[in-house]
Amino acid sequence: MTVRADGDDDLIAAVAGGDREALAALYRRHAPWLVLRLARRCPDPGTVEEVVQDTFVAVWNGADRYRATGEVPAWIWGIGIRRLISRLRRRPAALAGRPDETVVSAEDEVLLGVEHGDLGAALGSLSPELPAVVQATVLDGLTTREAATLLGIPQGTVKTRAARARRELREALA
Amino acid sequence: VNTTWHADPDVLSRYAAETLDDVRAASLEAHLLTCERCREALVPLTANADLDDIWRGIETALDAPRPGIVEWLLLHVGVGDDVARLLAATTSLRLSWLLAEAFALGTAALAAHAAAGTVRATATLFVFLALAALVPVVGVAAAFGPGVDPSYEIGIAAPMRSDRLLFIRAAAVLGASLAIAGIAAVVLPGTGWTLALWLAPALGLSLATLALATVLRPISAALTVGLAWVVLAAVTAATSADPMTVFRAGGQLLFLGLIAGSSLVIARRHAAYEGRIPA
Repeated sequence: MTVRADGDDDLIAAVAGGDREALAALYRRHAPWLVLRLARRCPDPGTVEEVVQDTFVAVWNGADRYRATGEVPAWIWGIGIRRLISRLRRRPAALAGRPDETVVSAEDEVLLGVEHGDLGAALGSLSPELPAVVQATVLDGLTTREAATLLGIPQGTVKTRAARARRELREALA
Repeated sequence: VNTTWHADPDVLSRYAAETLDDVRAASLEAHLLTCERCREALVPLTANADLDDIWRGIETALDAPRPGIVEWLLLHVGVGDDVARLLAATTSLRLSWLLAEAFALGTAALAAHAAAGTVRATATLFVFLALAALVPVVGVAAAFGPGVDPSYEIGIAAPMRSDRLLFIRAAAVLGASLAIAGIAAVVLPGTGWTLALWLAPALGLSLATLALATVLRPISAALTVGLAWVVLAAVTAATSADPMTVFRAGGQLLFLGLIAGSSLVIARRHAAYEGRIPA
């Protein structure tokens, strides 16, 4: 495999034209962070590898539909997280081991968002079960349904936790 | 995007080890989307995942043949992929074959339609009915045997019982042929029973072919049955006062009997397919 210095957009255009070497170059550039980012959301390494494979097959098949509207990494991540969700929908067992029903202690509730002023600290001060919901719905940009599948919790729970997170953040930043 | 800030190696290795706290991980992930340098710095930290292995999986997936339209349709109506592939490899289920069938039967049906009310009305209707009964036999014959079946060797070696695969394929071929003939029959002149007169002969002849295939090669069985049908139809048409004799009540009964008798033979002798008839 030769190393290519082309930009991501050029590589995607080459992939759309059927250039397998360009796909290999994209893979070498983007598979590493994709593996790590997916691994933080899915504890089963086998599922993560399947999702990475699905993602680059989808990049190969969908490269001609890529419009240079966003950055290539964001596009790849969008494909990857949705492939992960569709895998989890078919095989929710891959979620096993994920701590999703954390019990909130009274102390945690009391300690929430009092003395922090900045967003990072405010996020850090969220009740333990909330950051995952914020990450899925706000940072990963998933729909309620997708977030529910990813986190293995009902859609209603996603909505109530998102609402609570908003309230806690508002209070912490006040 | 130009960024002057970059994640320090400690943060990156803790991210890779999944020990970085959620807030900083989320912040790093947002940064990674726009920072090529930090993405590259992560590459040596992915030792746990076998990236070469995943890449080989991608290449295998890209090299896999795309399913044809028939196989694609079968997969989408819930047929298992092994059966779908074997059915798609069946000559008489290829799109070209189905189109040829549709063309032959459609032409005959249109001719009968055009001749309605003329002196040739009965003759053209007769031709359509005889053809509609014969097409499934040819289809079944084309589905099996060396020289016609592109997957003959694969079928011989397939880890599936010969009779099971034979029945699956025969049923699919029969179903497709009957559907095409049924659609073509809609333009026929006349109503009601005229539209279905070919059905019992078609089923009877196809099952007779399968029954005969327990002793003969499928292609020979089909030729025998097909010839017998053509001769029977021609002789009855030429000698009776009513050229449609073979399709009247007596003929229909005869074919119902043939269906029953052939089914019996197939049920008792299906083991005879094993090893002789490829799947």
